[in-house]
Amino acid sequence: MNAFVDPVGARLPRLEAREKVVGTAQYLDDHVRPGMLYAAVAQSPHAHARIRGYDVSKAKALPGVKAVVTGADIPVRRVGGMLKDETMLAVGKVRYVGEPVAAVAARDLATARLAAQLIEVDYEPLPTVLSIEDALKPDAPLLHEELASYVRTMDGNSHGNVVWESTLAEGDVDAAWSRCDVIVEGTYRTPAQYHAYMEPNGAIAEVDGNGRITVLATCQSVHHIQTRVADELGIPMSQVRAQVSRVGGGFGGKHASNIHSIAAWLARATGKPVKLALSRTQDMEIQRSRHPALIRLRTGALRDGTVIAREATITLDGGAYADESPNVLAFAMLMIRGPYNIPNVRIRGSAVYTNKLRAGSFRGFGNPQATFAGESQMDELADKLGIDPVELRLHNAMRPGDRWIGGHTATTCQLVACLEKVREAREAAPALPPPKPGRKRGSAVVAVTHISGLMGTSASVHMRGDGTFALNTGCVDIGQGSDTTMTQLCASLLKVPVERIVYGTQDSDLSPYNWKTAGSRSTYMTGRAVVAATEIVRDKILEHAAAMFECATADLELRPGGRVGVVGVPGKEVGFKDVALRSLFRSGGPIVGFHGFVFDGERFDPKRALIERLAFDNLGVYTFGAQCVEVEVDTLTGRVEVLRVWSAHDVGKAINPASVEGQIQGGIVQGLGYALYEQLIWDDDGRLSNPSFADYKVPGILDAPATIVPIVLEDPDPTGPFGAKGVGEISLVGIAPAIANAVCAATGGRLRQIPMTPERVLDALEAS
Amino acid sequence: MADTLSYELRINGEVLSVASPATATLLDVLRYQLGMTGSKRGCNQGVCGACTVLLDGVPVRGCLTLAANVGERAVTTVEGMSQGGTLSRVQQALLDAGAIQCGFCTPGVVVTLEAFLRDHPKPSADEVRHALSGNLCRCSGYVKIVEAAVIAAGAAP
Amino acid sequence: MRFASPETIADAVRLLSEEGARCLSGGQSLVAMMNADLVAPSTLVSLRRIGELGRIEVGSDGGLSIGAMATHATVAGLKPASAGAELVIAAAGAIGHPAIRNQGTIGGSIAHADPAADYPTAIVCAESTVVVAGASGQRRVPAADFFKGFYETALGPGEIVIAVEVPAGAAGARGHYEKFALIDGDFAVVSVAVIIGMSGGRCSFARLAIGACAAAPVRDPAAEAQLIGTPLDEAALDGAADLLVGRCDPIDDFRGSASYRLKLVPRLLKRAVNAAKQKAERAHG
Repeated sequence: MNAFVDPVGARLPRLEAREKVVGTAQYLDDHVRPGMLYAAVAQSPHAHARIRGYDVSKAKALPGVKAVVTGADIPVRRVGGMLKDETMLAVGKVRYVGEPVAAVAARDLATARLAAQLIEVDYEPLPTVLSIEDALKPDAPLLHEELASYVRTMDGNSHGNVVWESTLAEGDVDAAWSRCDVIVEGTYRTPAQYHAYMEPNGAIAEVDGNGRITVLATCQSVHHIQTRVADELGIPMSQVRAQVSRVGGGFGGKHASNIHSIAAWLARATGKPVKLALSRTQDMEIQRSRHPALIRLRTGALRDGTVIAREATITLDGGAYADESPNVLAFAMLMIRGPYNIPNVRIRGSAVYTNKLRAGSFRGFGNPQATFAGESQMDELADKLGIDPVELRLHNAMRPGDRWIGGHTATTCQLVACLEKVREAREAAPALPPPKPGRKRGSAVVAVTHISGLMGTSASVHMRGDGTFALNTGCVDIGQGSDTTMTQLCASLLKVPVERIVYGTQDSDLSPYNWKTAGSRSTYMTGRAVVAATEIVRDKILEHAAAMFECATADLELRPGGRVGVVGVPGKEVGFKDVALRSLFRSGGPIVGFHGFVFDGERFDPKRALIERLAFDNLGVYTFGAQCVEVEVDTLTGRVEVLRVWSAHDVGKAINPASVEGQIQGGIVQGLGYALYEQLIWDDDGRLSNPSFADYKVPGILDAPATIVPIVLEDPDPTGPFGAKGVGEISLVGIAPAIANAVCAATGGRLRQIPMTPERVLDALEAS
Repeated sequence: MADTLSYELRINGEVLSVASPATATLLDVLRYQLGMTGSKRGCNQGVCGACTVLLDGVPVRGCLTLAANVGERAVTTVEGMSQGGTLSRVQQALLDAGAIQCGFCTPGVVVTLEAFLRDHPKPSADEVRHALSGNLCRCSGYVKIVEAAVIAAGAAP
Repeated sequence: MRFASPETIADAVRLLSEEGARCLSGGQSLVAMMNADLVAPSTLVSLRRIGELGRIEVGSDGGLSIGAMATHATVAGLKPASAGAELVIAAAGAIGHPAIRNQGTIGGSIAHADPAADYPTAIVCAESTVVVAGASGQRRVPAADFFKGFYETALGPGEIVIAVEVPAGAAGARGHYEKFALIDGDFAVVSVAVIIGMSGGRCSFARLAIGACAAAPVRDPAAEAQLIGTPLDEAALDGAADLLVGRCDPIDDFRGSASYRLKLVPRLLKRAVNAAKQKAERAHG
């Protein structure tokens, strides 16, 4: 056979790429079921209102309508993350414009939509809360009057419109200020970014003859969908099966939704399969956004650039329901110190309710907000100190073995190398032709960090009768490439080409448990499970071969292409097929490997840090990077163009370098959208002003730089699979502050609010 | 309810009979009547480009084209790009360049690039970028898609 | 909804006389609005089969007569032989994205009359004439009179646009279209259309129009007259810009505040005039 190329480290095309380029990949809305009905939701026209009653008679009378459900029909079963405050349809009150209040199943979509419009809801409008400032006013209208009675997994000091309040501190920040030679402070604001995955959310639910529900979802975890549907319908998880279609992007926005339970309810009510596929506008109105943040930040340093104190107050706008607000808050708080050894830090955080779309998880998970403030302020500090901003970062940068706030150890840390690499790349880049009149150029470098880990996962490997393998995990590929990565890990250990392994699609009946595709955790967490499960299978194969050759396993080796051979004896070997047949028909039983675990890293050290009501205890391994952007600012209009980006990342080991680069490049452009263009905008009535792609500005190819250079540094993490760490989110994290700092370098204008619209840039230029 | 029209469409070399409401877009008919789900509905407002198909060889928005108004013009969709199971050069290059992530924008990218490379056999990267300016991709940052187009044109750097 | 696809203008006009009927040209705005449930015509009259509406004629002086069904891509691909053509061709190329330009038409665009669209500002600047057909025959409407307000035109019930006639502009003059949008392919925050002629270092011809800053494109003959005979220096342009800004009444929306748009008008006007001036001077020494 041809020389065996180790799949780990190879730039393999995605295993499912072929079906994607020929158009046969089946996303949610591409699926149909015999006799399938179509669902539509009726949505609240009010940002805040009491529901006095429903009249569904007209909707029910419409020919073709098979079922109607309102909030009055469902038992109140509140679901959510750490604070359970949300029902699948609004019950008693609506809390944001667009909130689902009722749903219809009908024989076709047009009928369903018409019926949804015919549902009459009697509302009593209530005063609204549309900003962080309004939410915190002493006499503010309350979104959740029954907040105290909600189930929660830990105390978050919820009160009024405050969802959660946490504190995190280390050292003595009050004492440190007097020792600082230079102090900078500022207030930073970030917007509600919409995930804008290309495939809108949707679900198909059906009920079998025994009453058991199956939900097909475009989602980030079948296990999470299964849990939520079971919770909302009040049935055991054993009565819900969740499956996944191909997923057209997620970015954190498809981890949960009301729609699965609504579809399941309608399927149960009608006995027919029901598809609920959201339009783009509905997706924007119903799903979730990145948390808008208001961050006050203060940083102090000695004259030599040693940063000794940082204090932050972070307030997140969580929208109408808590969802993942406590967790996003905790992570923003953990990230705002930045990857610097700052001994005295105090962070106060809170998340508040407002009458807007719920905010939730979104690539970066609080870190982009924190890093916008933190890394903007590092340049402001450098300016005040008269120190080169890269040198200031190098001076304070964490090194291997240094501790994160709270005490977690950064076992591997290539931050210094990342900073140096992007600076070198920038300096070595070819000079561009000079800018046109009225345009100014500048560049800036930021340091970024993220984590890679969290929660539980597992994997199984089954050897088939012909010596090929079935690999199963609960890890859903939402476009990032985990199907291929997991297969590469398994294939490498078994020394077989990836074609000899099938990676099973996720199904809660069959797939080993995985929390979800989130937290840059798939490669690191599920990859570890895949490696461990594969090693079990490998060892069993060796045991069978040892029995067949009557030798010790230590005398055997795997040979490329699916063989086991005796070390030092080239001809003496047995194929995997013979091993498999032995196991299945003669001795030992099927060869199966399984491994499951929960993230097992260090917990916070309560002796080191004051930690109150923080939603995490351990998170994962820390990843580091540095990002350099070069911008051109049109000083007449304020428009910012990003010309080139260099982004260096400490990935441990690139299992598939093409996928790693794709993650870096894609995250950078999503970060660029966050920095310059994207924001959900609500009017004074709490109605979204721009719920369509015509009005919400996702960067196209001409808005993105042609040159985005990923720089991949490999310093294997001792716990990672082949040393790998995750890279799914970190590349988005630093782009906004990098652009803000580059705009300042070009023009002297300092922007502390994103998106940096041309209008805001012009204002900053005029203020400078 | 809308009146139903009966008409024929020429799609990927076949003549197909269709009955649809007059309001049905070409995308509606392809996806929900003919089961040709390769063309995607990303926004239904002509912005994202996931529904792009060729009309007489020219890229247009499936979601902004009324099916009844297509008439005799030849429709080519992503399903018509890989004849006989062989990938087109654009499809192969997207695969080889690692340009595929979630894949939802990919059908629109494929048909857009096929038409573009037919008219511009040796494009610059900048010309490729302009040709793709109406195809949103949220995953890739576009870099590898441009690399793929350049590879497909046989002008790899 | 009913659908008709007549082959003559007369048939189209007859079909459009029905209550609730709308005409479908490229459909790039109308179908988007139908998809968003913003409009629901009772009858749609497609102009696609009316061959004469696709015709484009180039006059001996370089002026254009553009049939209503000419796509933006077709117009953008023309070789300009006059200042008026140069301006309108540039505006066509600035609309949306390639696939939109492949189907969208000039007739559809101007009949839609979005004040932030590209064609209206350009054809007003170029002093074009809109040729309209209705039950009582054809009439010719100056572009400046055609745009009446936000999505409002001089089209009467049942009337359709059949052509846009773009005069050449002064010999030796040059056109320039300066569009400022938040992202590529979007509608303008502000757009500026200009035609400038230069003679002996002095401005000999000026037409200026501002888009997206009022319910219809803004022109002010006094501002244009003020530029004649000047070297188009800062002072002259400031004066003209002041007059134009005085006629602007922009909206506040997520693309930009009214005050920002007003701030941009003089800046983009200068950029556009200077671009056209440089081209005019290069061409004529």
